Amino acid sequence: MNLSRKAKEATKTALAITIAYGIALGMGWDRPYWAGFAVAFISLSTYGQSLNKAALRMAGTGMGIVMAFVLIALFSQERWLFMVGVSIWVGLCTYMMGGSQRAYFWNVAGLVCVIVCMDAGPSSTNAFSVAMLRAQETGLGILVYSLVASLLWPTRSGAQFAAAVNEFVAAQASLYEGCRDRVLGQSTAAQTHELSAQLRQARDRFQTLLAAADTDTYEVWALRAQWQTFQRQALALTISLARWRDTLEGIQDIDLAKVFPDLQELDDLLGQRFKGMAAMLANEPPAGDSAPLELAVDRAGFRALSAFERAEVTAARARWQEIEQLTRGLLAAIADIRDFNRIAVDSTPADSSPAPFFLDTDRLLSVFRVLLILWLAYLLWIYVPDLPGGTGVVSMACPLGMALASMPQVRVSKMFRPAMLSTLAASIIYIFIMPQLSSFLGLGTLLFISTFAIYYLFATPQQALGRVFGIAMFLSIASISNEQSYSFMVVASTAMMLPIVFLVLLVTAYIPFSPLPEKAFERLLRRYFRSSEYLLSTLGDWQQPLGSREHARQARQLREIATLPQKLAAWSRAIGPGLLPGGSPAATQQLVADLQALSFRIQELLSARDHQYPPSLIAALQADIRAWRLAIQQVFQRLSVDPSDLDRQAFQAGLAATIDHMEQQVRAALDQPEQGRISDEEGADFFQLLAAYRGVSVALGDYAGSVAPIDWPGWREERFA
Amino acid sequence: MNPIPHEFAISGVYLPPLLVAALLGVIAAVATTRLLNHYRLAKYFFYPPLVQLSLAVIYTVFIGTVFIRV
Repeated sequence: MNLSRKAKEATKTALAITIAYGIALGMGWDRPYWAGFAVAFISLSTYGQSLNKAALRMAGTGMGIVMAFVLIALFSQERWLFMVGVSIWVGLCTYMMGGSQRAYFWNVAGLVCVIVCMDAGPSSTNAFSVAMLRAQETGLGILVYSLVASLLWPTRSGAQFAAAVNEFVAAQASLYEGCRDRVLGQSTAAQTHELSAQLRQARDRFQTLLAAADTDTYEVWALRAQWQTFQRQALALTISLARWRDTLEGIQDIDLAKVFPDLQELDDLLGQRFKGMAAMLANEPPAGDSAPLELAVDRAGFRALSAFERAEVTAARARWQEIEQLTRGLLAAIADIRDFNRIAVDSTPADSSPAPFFLDTDRLLSVFRVLLILWLAYLLWIYVPDLPGGTGVVSMACPLGMALASMPQVRVSKMFRPAMLSTLAASIIYIFIMPQLSSFLGLGTLLFISTFAIYYLFATPQQALGRVFGIAMFLSIASISNEQSYSFMVVASTAMMLPIVFLVLLVTAYIPFSPLPEKAFERLLRRYFRSSEYLLSTLGDWQQPLGSREHARQARQLREIATLPQKLAAWSRAIGPGLLPGGSPAATQQLVADLQALSFRIQELLSARDHQYPPSLIAALQADIRAWRLAIQQVFQRLSVDPSDLDRQAFQAGLAATIDHMEQQVRAALDQPEQGRISDEEGADFFQLLAAYRGVSVALGDYAGSVAPIDWPGWREERFA
Repeated sequence: MNPIPHEFAISGVYLPPLLVAALLGVIAAVATTRLLNHYRLAKYFFYPPLVQLSLAVIYTVFIGTVFIRV
């Protein structure tokens, strides 16, 4: 019988839940739905992904239980101190969820602590049994699902991982070719933008499947160190290609063949390398020349260019050399994985130094909101007599708040409908079908059919909310136990509890900032330009080294401008095409792409700060460079108040005048007799500085073009969520 | 209509009148805010979340007083 993939996955989950319930009931364990939850939440598309999630769930459960014991032992007679302790732990877990690769571990560690504390805190005598029950039922669910998934239609990640690696390398090759074609005027910015988006998707898929294949595929596990090296090199190349894509505009009108006589040779070499990577991944003999190639500069061709053209080609050369070096490293990494030792590994390893620690503003806001939800639910439970659901309100509101913290773009109202519909469906089963059952045969069949239906009907990622609420509500309301009893109060309490929980979530959604995507988008834009303005201001005394405090602040703001475009991209997808007239996804996505380019340019400008420049050029141009910096800083300051306050035509006219003036100044400075003493290296550094300033200005001009189609007044209008 | 406050009985399940009024009040408030959004009239309010809450309370009191007699 040929079953579809989703039918097989639904069957596995349904069978595992039924068996887990059968064992839990057979062992006489209370609350078998905890085993059902464990199965339901760890089932993913491949065995390795499920095992990874299962390990995180088990470890998180253990950590959550230990913390619950500590808090109950310390503050069992002090409800406020007890809650302060719970809040600190939940806050820490929420913060860690935002940036850790093990987000699910922190999520489970937080919610299990709250569940055990709310269950056992008010009556601590049964704390140990509740916690042990939770641990053993979670373990049971994981064990059963692992066995079912390994025996029934096992889906290893190996094949998918191999396809993902091929796709990742192919996407890098495509983006490289797209960028090269754009330099030659054979493709457009929109096409390279699309290729860049495809590369990002391929990268994400590769990273997800690497973790899964490492767990369930021996061949990947045995070479995990080599795959880690491949991952580092490939990610570095992805970043380099993205930067290159964003800095192409300045060299499009230059005849590069006259400046770089070996350019065609380098292009052929890179093309061969990408083909060689694909061939080696397909286990074919090694191909692709791994010898380094220095891109020589034709002095006559270079001197024929204007100062700013020289600056652009100098920057482009540096980028080409970086790509050449990284592809060499990637080729060597693949050769190592495929055991082709003929290619020498002589590349510089990608930078893997850990990023400095800073408190992330958005994650702190998430912590604030989750704690607000926790306290509001807790106060309701304490001060509202006979609150429907009792401690269940706290136990339910906190995990939902943590889930919303990790995906702030999801509207609370969007979750309400699946939750209520799931409650209604589960109530019908509980009231009308379950009382007719008299043995586990009937109950097991009902469990299997219901779970299968939920997982089959809500199989796609877009239907995840329906699937999660469907299974959670069904297992909660069914409240299956060995001494089964039926009471309408179970249904009524849950039905009453849900609106209370959602009311808490709704009330806190506006604190501290509006959850509307267009408002969040503009707020983050303002923050982006505040950071940019600060970073430009650090270039004031650019020959003086920064103090340690200023250095730390600069690093923090640099991280802000590096990460904010990704956050803005997530919010731009939430704005949606039909929301407002000016909210078309294409317009906002273009704006985000321009901000990404601006971030790269600012980073380049700041890295140019540390170089030494020829004193004669500095003396001639310092005043102009300063004036230019102040002008850009002023624009950033204006944009941090109103992100749409930039007229493209006026800005570009001013930029053209500045460039003309600087061009004359540079030419005059280079014509001085001392210019003969300027070394090639000093000259290259100086031109990179000029390219960086021009790049920031050009990127700002592009941004000004992107803000024009957006209906900002419409975005700023108040509306109901 | 009987002026004495009474519970709603649905197949033997008794619901308090205030609950029914609140439910209808929230539904009416959501419908009103949807209409205000549709006709771009929400821009005339300083803080829409508070307006939404106030509308729900006003509708609940109105429905409870006039129709359900809480």
